[in-house]
Amino acid sequence: MLNLGPLALYGAALVAYIWHFVRRSASAGRAATTVLVFAALSHTFVIGMQTVEYGHVPMAGPTSYISTFVWLLALAYLYTEMTSDERGMGIFILPLLVALQVIPASVPGVESRSAVLEGPLFGIHVSSLLFAYASFALACVIGITYVLLFKEIKAKHLGVFYARLPSLQVLDRMNQRAIAIGWVFLTIGMVVGVVWAAQARAYDPATPQFQAMSLEDPKIFVALVCWAVYSFEVFAARRIGWGGRRAAYLSAVGFAIVLLNFVPISYFVTNSHKF
Amino acid sequence: MHLLLVGISHKTAPVELRERVDFQVHGLARTLAALAARGSTREAVVLSTCNRAELYVACDDVAATRADLVSFVGEFNGIDRPTVAPHVYDIVDLDAARHLFRVAAGLDSLVVGEPQILGQVKQAHTAAHDVQVVGPVLNRLFHSSFAVGKRVRTETSLGAGAVSIGFAAASLARKIFGDLRGRTVVVIGAGEMGKLTARHMKSQGVHQIIIVSRTMAHAARTAEAIGGATAAPWDEMDAALSGGDIVITATGAAAPILTKARVEAIMRSRRNRPLFIIDIALPRDVEPAAGEIEQVFLYNIDDLQATVRENLARRGSEVARAEAIVTEELDRFGAWLRSRGAVPTIVALRQHCENIRRAELERLDYKLASLPQADEARARVDEITRLIMEKLLLAPTEQLKSLGDAETVGAYSEALTRLFRLGDDDEQERGEGGDRRIAPFTRSKHRGSR
Repeated sequence: MLNLGPLALYGAALVAYIWHFVRRSASAGRAATTVLVFAALSHTFVIGMQTVEYGHVPMAGPTSYISTFVWLLALAYLYTEMTSDERGMGIFILPLLVALQVIPASVPGVESRSAVLEGPLFGIHVSSLLFAYASFALACVIGITYVLLFKEIKAKHLGVFYARLPSLQVLDRMNQRAIAIGWVFLTIGMVVGVVWAAQARAYDPATPQFQAMSLEDPKIFVALVCWAVYSFEVFAARRIGWGGRRAAYLSAVGFAIVLLNFVPISYFVTNSHKF
Repeated sequence: MHLLLVGISHKTAPVELRERVDFQVHGLARTLAALAARGSTREAVVLSTCNRAELYVACDDVAATRADLVSFVGEFNGIDRPTVAPHVYDIVDLDAARHLFRVAAGLDSLVVGEPQILGQVKQAHTAAHDVQVVGPVLNRLFHSSFAVGKRVRTETSLGAGAVSIGFAAASLARKIFGDLRGRTVVVIGAGEMGKLTARHMKSQGVHQIIIVSRTMAHAARTAEAIGGATAAPWDEMDAALSGGDIVITATGAAAPILTKARVEAIMRSRRNRPLFIIDIALPRDVEPAAGEIEQVFLYNIDDLQATVRENLARRGSEVARAEAIVTEELDRFGAWLRSRGAVPTIVALRQHCENIRRAELERLDYKLASLPQADEARARVDEITRLIMEKLLLAPTEQLKSLGDAETVGAYSEALTRLFRLGDDDEQERGEGGDRRIAPFTRSKHRGSR
């Protein structure tokens, strides 16, 4: 229930970002950032407490890794906001933070993990992937804002987003950077995962989960699809003129797949990634 | 003391008259010196822009000063009084303050919300400050007006959105490309409109401007006129467009020069990097269908004009919020101004107490003189009595300064004057000096204004 505190603060930050977006008041914007900083701090505290309690960073069960993911996404967004001095995207990021944080706040986070999950490789595997997913989430939101602004300029109706968002060029570059960073961590996370799975299989041949880890497992398969989509976006899209709006759509599609993997598949479908 | 504003603006005077009533041409310092020399004002600030010429003064006799200032406006600019007088408006006290606040906020401007005016108000105040003709009242008034201007700019969207074609084009370009530095502008056609828009883009810091025209000589001449631009022959247009980011078309051609197919070919060679085309030619130089191409942003002169109109309308809807800020700051200034009404009474009260203290010290001096360390004792007694007096006066002074309306201030002043017989005291003290009551509060360096 510790996760309720950050949830409340994320909710308050969301309200402040909405207020900032509607009224375009600089003080509301600063207040929003301040509340978000406090939300992230309290979340850091919660995760720190759990780490002390369990003796490791909470990220083995779906409930706790969603919490860690929200925390990473909040930090990544705060970093973006502070380096670009643009607050117009907060109104798009915060709903995602609040919606996802509801899960760890309402499902009791029982964290028990088997001995096999204790090695450093598992930690690297999960934290790289969570960070990659946070980057992709950010890229998706930036992509959505790009499309909204693009449509306004193209349709010659300069309105809500025109007055509040940074330029298309800036959004495009931010999107590109977030995708590139995410791709690097996705790759690391997957490679480490393969190595770890091989070790685990040798270490504990009796556990059915380890034997089920193959391309036929939906979670692993979907992750590979993700990797293919983002690899295309990083290496090929711009060469064939798929910059700007198409890249933005692509990052939205990529993140939709990530989200699919993250929530429904983690909870209901996968037969190997359950601990 | 009263605030008085005498002036003309775009709302009351035709441009021919405004051109003649221009204090800027004579220099603000000279104007202020001439105004101060007339002796009808205590403090003065002159605000002179192409849309207004206004004299803000603090004075004692409103009617006389008003007449004198109207004469001054005419005489100083060499215009007969009957020509200028019908166009002059005069506003008194808090209404004058409200007027200045509205001016600083851009609410009284020809183009509502235009940003230059606040800087001009600041300049006007600085000029008056430099020649020492502003005192506490106008200082406070102008600083409050800066606060209004700043608040309106940050808390409302009154100044948001471009309201000229050139600005609209540049702000669109910035929304597409971010920073314009490092960007290349291609101008097709060597006419006046293209040149103007290109100049505007140049002032926004674009990296390179290429002029393409059917006659190379025209292109070269226009490039030279813009300064730092290069000319390119007509048949190299596609190459120039492949490398450019912003295209301004302004030829006199009867049929579109850039067809959809041609722009598509250009976009392929640019790998779909965004291209912003501004078609300011009539008839059009660019086929409207070209705007459907991915990453091509096509705006013609009507589109730009429409955004300008939208921005103006949006500014209009912000007026009420700006007016609310004006009223808020006016209340604050009014409270301060009213508290100043108590100043003469406060000064008289202090003077009265000080006189009693001095008189008693002198009267009892022989007692101190008989002590062994007489000078030391005198200094101590002087210090102690002064501290007692200050302590006693502190609360009444603060109370008087914080009084709300002029009526209460008057009642309190009246009561104090009677209770302490301040009038009598004052007369004895003042002699022929005249202005002594105000002097400690206005500081002697501002004497020049009186």
